[in-house]
Amino acid sequence: MSYRVAVTGMGVVSPIGRTSDSFRDALFAGRSGIGPITTFDPATLPTRIAAEVKWDGELMRDRKISFVLDAAAQAMNEATRAGTRPSGDGGLSLGLGLELFSMDDLAAKRRGRPVPDGIADRAIYLQTPSDLCVSMVAGRFELRAPPVTHVSACAAGTDAIGSAFRMIASGRRRWMMAGGADSMINPLGVAGFCSIGATSTANDDPPRASRPFDLRRSGFVLGEGAGVLILERLEDARARRAEVHAEVCGYGASFDAHGISEPHPDGRGAFQAMSRALSEAQVDPDRIDCINAHGTATPKNDPVETLAIKRLFGRRAYDIPVCATKSMIGHLIAAAGAVEAIAAIAGMKAGIVPPTINLDYRDPACDLDYVPHTARNHPQRFVLSNSFAFGGQNASLVLRAADA
Amino acid sequence: MSDAFIQGTDVAVTGMAAVCGAYDVGPYLRIRKMGKFMGKQDGLAVVAGARAVQAAGLASPLGERCGLYAAVGYIPFEAGDINRLIDASLDGDDFSMQRFAANAFGAINPLLTFRVLPNMPAFHVSLNLDIQGPYEVSYPGIGQFYTVLEGAIAAITSGIIDVALVGAVADQRNFLVEHHFSRLTPPVEPARLADAAAFIVLERRAEAVARGATPHARLVDWRLDYSPVEPFAGRTPSECLARDGVCVTGIRELGPASLGVALAETGRGRLTHRARTRDGFTVSSTWEVT
Repeated sequence: MSYRVAVTGMGVVSPIGRTSDSFRDALFAGRSGIGPITTFDPATLPTRIAAEVKWDGELMRDRKISFVLDAAAQAMNEATRAGTRPSGDGGLSLGLGLELFSMDDLAAKRRGRPVPDGIADRAIYLQTPSDLCVSMVAGRFELRAPPVTHVSACAAGTDAIGSAFRMIASGRRRWMMAGGADSMINPLGVAGFCSIGATSTANDDPPRASRPFDLRRSGFVLGEGAGVLILERLEDARARRAEVHAEVCGYGASFDAHGISEPHPDGRGAFQAMSRALSEAQVDPDRIDCINAHGTATPKNDPVETLAIKRLFGRRAYDIPVCATKSMIGHLIAAAGAVEAIAAIAGMKAGIVPPTINLDYRDPACDLDYVPHTARNHPQRFVLSNSFAFGGQNASLVLRAADA
Repeated sequence: MSDAFIQGTDVAVTGMAAVCGAYDVGPYLRIRKMGKFMGKQDGLAVVAGARAVQAAGLASPLGERCGLYAAVGYIPFEAGDINRLIDASLDGDDFSMQRFAANAFGAINPLLTFRVLPNMPAFHVSLNLDIQGPYEVSYPGIGQFYTVLEGAIAAITSGIIDVALVGAVADQRNFLVEHHFSRLTPPVEPARLADAAAFIVLERRAEAVARGATPHARLVDWRLDYSPVEPFAGRTPSECLARDGVCVTGIRELGPASLGVALAETGRGRLTHRARTRDGFTVSSTWEVT
């Protein structure tokens, strides 16, 4: 038995908007969420910019927990607007970033500070385990089907949605909350990416620092946030008269089995992930109307992703709009795939392809239609969304417009 | 989620291997220079994964029709690396961002970034066995091992792949992991924590037999349940491994690798595993090991 899988709720906490509506509007307007780092003093680190979530009010120490709880609440509110919850026990499929490690606590520990007594303080002292997110979201929303946690780095958000899609399509789960959450804008996170030269050092002009597919790109800009989708059987969604935003109809994953931080030079893994997603969706490449690219703005990713797209789509690759959401929101790491899937769905619903901002100087190795600078009216029935991770884990989703 | 999931499936375990404690990854490296990027959890996973594949009569490259499904333990930042950072970052007794940026940043070993990431064991296993199929990488305990096992069985039975390498790895003799377990209720003594990795190879039985492989084990029944729990609130965990009805549970805490290690180390018979985890899972499975 194979069930069609509908998206009936979306919630997002991003550097350019804290609701799916405000996120969509900023996305279509080509607004950058990148600025100087304010969550800590980056002092003289080579990278002193990031795409931070603008948040009023209290945040948990591990910011991604607050982000995912908020995004999940938004998604559930949307999915239950018709007055009912999705049918049966729900599950959770969540892509998560690294545990938060506190240098301040380590210094305090050295001074002899004991582990705090209270449960809440003890849980976050020195290191905050990321699976706290799963327990808190599952508890808050009474999700009683076994949850799945994905830690495949930059591909985790897409893997979480793909995995949830398969569980529902195969009948193993009735409905799922799926997405990703991350925040690595902390001293160790930023310094770690600096130390491997992965992040942009264009500190003087933050909104223009993230330049996917541009000849003058200099690395990615770290972002933070969360994206959560409610996935359920299409027939259940229709029966309870829930609004269907889109369908998830294919997922593909692959290993590059090549380099730790550089993709396979032929784009082999990216090609395999995209083609497997299309195959599962039973969608011919000719029917893809838009690609939400991984598009990190690193020297290595962008030309290889371009190559893989050309290999898969042949001459038609030049006719498909390819957009890089990271030009506006930076790289949300484990949350990237989920937030970008929401961007893709927003684009499909509106018939608008979000722009790739800061694409000023054409790179001969990146010669597709990246929708530079401004959004474009363009009807879309099927969209491909890509996420490729450090360590060669590649994931792609095929999304279908609700009325396609 | 109960037996219905595995009923009608004909999946055989054709290879099993476990590594606890010391290991030598050298013989299993396809690209020797990549060894410098490996942390302990990476080395453990590569050795256990490669031995399981050998035991199944398979060899690298495993290619596009093999998937990798792994659960990885808590993140093991090395004390030496972290101490170097904090030593260079202190202003008096306090952490100073200015000193961190000026002094410690240059002392960061870029490899530190890679050696502890939870997706890196999967990377190194895929690289050294040339696995290009799909994957699922989860974290941090035995409940999550059951979820990746579920994903692997689903991928095999649906025909997405022909071979699944399913396993778990935990680097736990580590100051940060020990800190984590010591703050739980009830706490886990550091001496009980062990480093471990274990992998099993799953295939459709008919195809395994057709290629001349020997099925070593079969999943007879299975249960995967969950109830959300308040984190750190003291849900008492329990784990039991029984061979032919006799408890074989040791005193070691093997994290997500406990079932895999038991399968690889237990001889012929009927192995039953049951666990109730701190994070809300209640799992069980029975395996016939031949």
